[in-house]
Amino acid sequence: MRSKVARRILAETPEETKIFVNLYADILVRIKQLLKEKGHTQKSFAEKLGKQPSEINRWLTGNHNLTLKSMAKMQAELGEPIIYVPKRVVFSEKETVKRHFIVYKNHHFDTNVKFEEGQKTLRIPKTYQPLAYAEE
Amino acid sequence: MNTFELEIWDDEAKRCTFYTVREEGAKQNETDAFFEKYELDTTFKEQIQQLLSFVLDAIGENHGAIDELFNRYENEVVGLPSQGHLYFGEFHYHYPNFPLRLYALKVTSEIVILFSGGIKDGKTNQESSLHYKWVDACNYAKRIIQSINDGTIVVNEQKRILLSFDGSSDIIL
Repeated sequence: MRSKVARRILAETPEETKIFVNLYADILVRIKQLLKEKGHTQKSFAEKLGKQPSEINRWLTGNHNLTLKSMAKMQAELGEPIIYVPKRVVFSEKETVKRHFIVYKNHHFDTNVKFEEGQKTLRIPKTYQPLAYAEE
Repeated sequence: MNTFELEIWDDEAKRCTFYTVREEGAKQNETDAFFEKYELDTTFKEQIQQLLSFVLDAIGENHGAIDELFNRYENEVVGLPSQGHLYFGEFHYHYPNFPLRLYALKVTSEIVILFSGGIKDGKTNQESSLHYKWVDACNYAKRIIQSINDGTIVVNEQKRILLSFDGSSDIIL
């Protein structure tokens, strides 16, 4: 069961709010766990970063917004990524496109054959014999 | 302090069961009353949504009540019987200058009892307008911790629930 009040408020909560709250919590947990793993106290970590312990405390207790720059500083010192940004993997095009090619032997230069602006196909006079025909 | 009942507030989240307290004869439990009060106040509507999402999504679904997200009042509850993993405090929503506080008692990282809260408008709880809510929460917490210590409340960690000494889920203190 879930409280009806909680259910109602949660249903009205914009998705971006939930994403923001969860990202913020994930980042804070990650930083605090890395500090613990590396054996840092807030004081020793502040010394490493050349900051006042109070500033680190403000980052970690929510009295100061975490900026990308401050996270980069922490990540550089902790030596492990704090956040991951997914990268797209490029795949070659799998879909095939059907194309037809007809190759004509070009033994005469015919000045009457012209591509008009906006024209997509070129009509070849019937007097020309196809040299090859290819189909995909 | 009056008689109160411990009731489940949320047991749908994957990582944590949340309980709350309801004063005898009260129409609403403490936690619902807190959320509803600030939901109706347009100044705090967004913050109350953030706080609820923090409790139910970040803690309930993603992390559980881990220490990293829980701000303990070890010094302020020195009078409480000390019991290893029981911590009274508040969920620490880290966003800068967040005005609201919700008090809680962490029984395990998977069972948490929520109380009420208010606006943190002073440097300390004592200086804030939520002082009485904090005192109430401390008193609820004391009684609950005492009951866990003397066996009136049994913590079933496997099932993530609290039970009365007689095995029933009705816990009246």
